[in-house]
Amino acid sequence: MDVVDESDALPEDPSRTGDAIIEARGIVKRFGGAVAVDSVSMAVPPGEIHGLVGENGAGKSTLMRVLAGILSPDRGAVVVDGEELKAGDTRAALEAGIALVHQELSLVEEMTVAENILLGSTPTRAGLIKTGELKRIAAEALDEIGVSVDLDEPIGRLSVALRQFVEIARAVARKPRVLILDEPTATLTPTETDYLLDMLQRLSRRGLAIIYISHRIPEIFRICDRVTVLRDGRHVDTAAISDTRPQDLVDQMVGRQLALDLQTHRVPAEPGAVVLQARGIRAPGVDGVDLEVRAGEIVGLGGLVGAGRTELVRAIIGADLRSAGEVTVAAGGRTRRVAGIRAAVAGGLAYVPEERRTDGLALTMTVAENVALPNRGRLSRSGVLLFRKIADFALGLARTVGLRPPEIRREVGDFSGGNQQKVVLAKWLGRRPDVVVLDEPTRGVDVGAKVEIHRLVKDLADGGAAVLMVSSDLPELLELSDVIHILRDGRIVGTLTAEEADEKLVMSLASGEATVAA
Amino acid sequence: MTSEASGEATTTSEAAARTADLGDRGGADPDIKRRKLHVLEQMANRGIFFFTAALVLIAALFIDGFASLENITDVFHRAAPIGIVAVGMTFVVISANYLDLSVVAQVATAAVVLIGVSNNSNIPMAIGLALLIALAYGIVNGVAVGVFKANAVIVTLSTTFIGLGLLRWASGGSIYFGPSDGPIRSFGTTEIGPFPLSMIVLVVIAIGLHFLLNRTTFGFLLKSYGSNRNATRLAGVNTALVVVGAFLISALGSTIGGFVLAAFSNTAVSAMSSGFDFEALAAIIVGGTSVFGGKGSVLRTLLGVVFVSVLTNIMVLSGLGFGYQQMAIGALIAAAVSVDALARRAAGK
Ligand SMILES: Nc1ncnc2c1ncn2[C@@H]1O[C@H](COP(=O)(O)OP(=O)(O)OP(=O)(O)O)[C@@H](O)[C@H]1O
Ligand SMILES: [Mg+2]
Repeated sequence: MDVVDESDALPEDPSRTGDAIIEARGIVKRFGGAVAVDSVSMAVPPGEIHGLVGENGAGKSTLMRVLAGILSPDRGAVVVDGEELKAGDTRAALEAGIALVHQELSLVEEMTVAENILLGSTPTRAGLIKTGELKRIAAEALDEIGVSVDLDEPIGRLSVALRQFVEIARAVARKPRVLILDEPTATLTPTETDYLLDMLQRLSRRGLAIIYISHRIPEIFRICDRVTVLRDGRHVDTAAISDTRPQDLVDQMVGRQLALDLQTHRVPAEPGAVVLQARGIRAPGVDGVDLEVRAGEIVGLGGLVGAGRTELVRAIIGADLRSAGEVTVAAGGRTRRVAGIRAAVAGGLAYVPEERRTDGLALTMTVAENVALPNRGRLSRSGVLLFRKIADFALGLARTVGLRPPEIRREVGDFSGGNQQKVVLAKWLGRRPDVVVLDEPTRGVDVGAKVEIHRLVKDLADGGAAVLMVSSDLPELLELSDVIHILRDGRIVGTLTAEEADEKLVMSLASGEATVAA
Repeated sequence: MTSEASGEATTTSEAAARTADLGDRGGADPDIKRRKLHVLEQMANRGIFFFTAALVLIAALFIDGFASLENITDVFHRAAPIGIVAVGMTFVVISANYLDLSVVAQVATAAVVLIGVSNNSNIPMAIGLALLIALAYGIVNGVAVGVFKANAVIVTLSTTFIGLGLLRWASGGSIYFGPSDGPIRSFGTTEIGPFPLSMIVLVVIAIGLHFLLNRTTFGFLLKSYGSNRNATRLAGVNTALVVVGAFLISALGSTIGGFVLAAFSNTAVSAMSSGFDFEALAAIIVGGTSVFGGKGSVLRTLLGVVFVSVLTNIMVLSGLGFGYQQMAIGALIAAAVSVDALARRAAGK
């Protein structure tokens, strides 16, 4: 076990630092007065895959942004090949061979795949873009990670998972020696995750140093050589993976005992009447789907990336236009047809979108304001806001979802990724919705918070809500759903009850290896 | 919302935030980058207080003729119409739709209607007609941007051309002179101490709009829309109404601004308001309202107006011509927008 002395600015272990490509030495980073990263040191030698784990808000992304020169530390240094890097200089970090794949997607939707891959390092001659060269380098990068996608396709048309791979290609195109990935698998289904993990192992065998952040513990154990645990911005431990057990890791992350396998399926109440009914839904990527969700029921949607799950739920609730099909919601004693999102929300819908930053949150506004948005009706009187009520309401919800820190007057953009996700959930929980549509509800959320969110979703269903959920996280899908529809190419290709479903069956249906009479 | 609510529930987190604040200022750790961020944020948010105070002080000390009652009153007379336009246009900027260029056409139209149509006899009818025209501007701009998702700069540039064209056609391009007495004239000339009536109108409007922005559901939805229109739509908000509302407020401001301008100058001509668009914009963003939308303050726009007006006045008193004034306004906008962008970058957004 390799324990780095955290009280000292310089790590004491020369055997480690000697062969490391990249080293963080006593990094301290504060935001305002709050310490996000507190004297953290770590070192990664070439060819190593180094896992980085910790709860939401532990400081993982902040530390990585310091390494990549995006943030400049308040104290400490980033050392590459024994040489100190200029602090807070992205270009210097890039030139030193550090490439970061952000937790949040950062591609330009209007630009093509090739343009995005070389964004910021576009090859030019006399100010003119060398299109041929651009495409060659982009193709090479995609080739290197073994992903095939049309170079001229605008990013806006790709699924979130494919965009994730384009992000990685973008990092690889810079020929890095250190590749940092911040929760790259949060939206990937098992198949793509497998693919990604294999690819990373391949890259590391060629001498690349990789730092890998994930809340999915099995992934850490599958590919990492060593793992570092952060808690509340502090370094807790760095250990070889062979000396560690999953349970230890979780205990170190949360600083207490937390049962890992709470995954018991709930006993569904007798399902009530049909609340959400969709018939003949057609939209781009969706090819004629019928489904219904009853009161008190959780219906899961499984499938591979590109199967049309997100497109389907967005078409159902009217977030995007549908070319055909009809949706009705029966709640509160009346049945209404849902044409657009506004009618749907007015009729008691809650929608947690796949992309929290573009669709779920106003990042420059406070937690209280974000939470108040869909609840403004009862937080105002004759058009005038009731601030005291808003504060109480938001604080209560922040506690319910375990927001950390529970500061409701802080801008949402200043929270860690997982905590932002909790705000999206909080926003809708307060409405006691009749219909709940969740698209990757625990994306980027840590193990402890995930258990909590699962409990909240079950409570919603037990309280009589009709829940429709997309999840790429197979254990989550299996744990929560009473019924699972498997989608492929925009169609339902199989329907499994909670008793029938298991990981293998879901995956083989999703990939088309098996068929079931639906 | 933050500032209004801060007096209410005192939570531990608030206390923590306060100590955090203190720690940031009194921290022993001398870090340049952090200080830079701090300064930039200050400049983007509260800097306008200090800048305006400093500018007034400098002017009073070094510029001959600035500190006279006559000059100060004149500054206010000139500031009021632009100020009323700017506080209204602040709503368009907060909605992340850049600006409303059509204020130029609207101000001139309101002025011509007030003086030309009323002929000093039928003032209520003239005001009513001008308000109807404002309604039309607000709805046309708002629907094009909010419903058809057209770019606000292009839309309002088009309505400016259409509006000015119509005005020139209807007025035959002539100058209207107001009568030497009557209610319009007396409104334009009444002063209470150094304050012309128009300045008091501006302050009252600003306070009303401040309330609208910070206390009402509409103001809240406007900020939310400006911060992220997609998320706001998906929360079930009728975003088209929000946008139309913003452009209506801008139109109302321009129209009242046009009245005030006409009353002060006692003339009206279609070219009288050229430059109002950028002067108003300068006041708004110097006041710290972000061109990225979602954030802003009507009262700080008011300070921005004072800043811009004093700056112009200093140049006039120093004998620098209109060309210099234009350059100064342009430079001011560029500087304020850059500070805004830098502050965002430094904050890691
Ligand atoms: N721009 C910012 N301004 C203020 N505070 C910030 C900012 N960015 C991060 N923080 C704070 O720093 C702490 C660490 O955040 P960070 O994003 O590094 O966490 P994380 O470990 O990546 O969490 P997650 O698993 O949720 O992604 C959090 O408390 C967060 O609220
Ligand atoms: Mg993170």
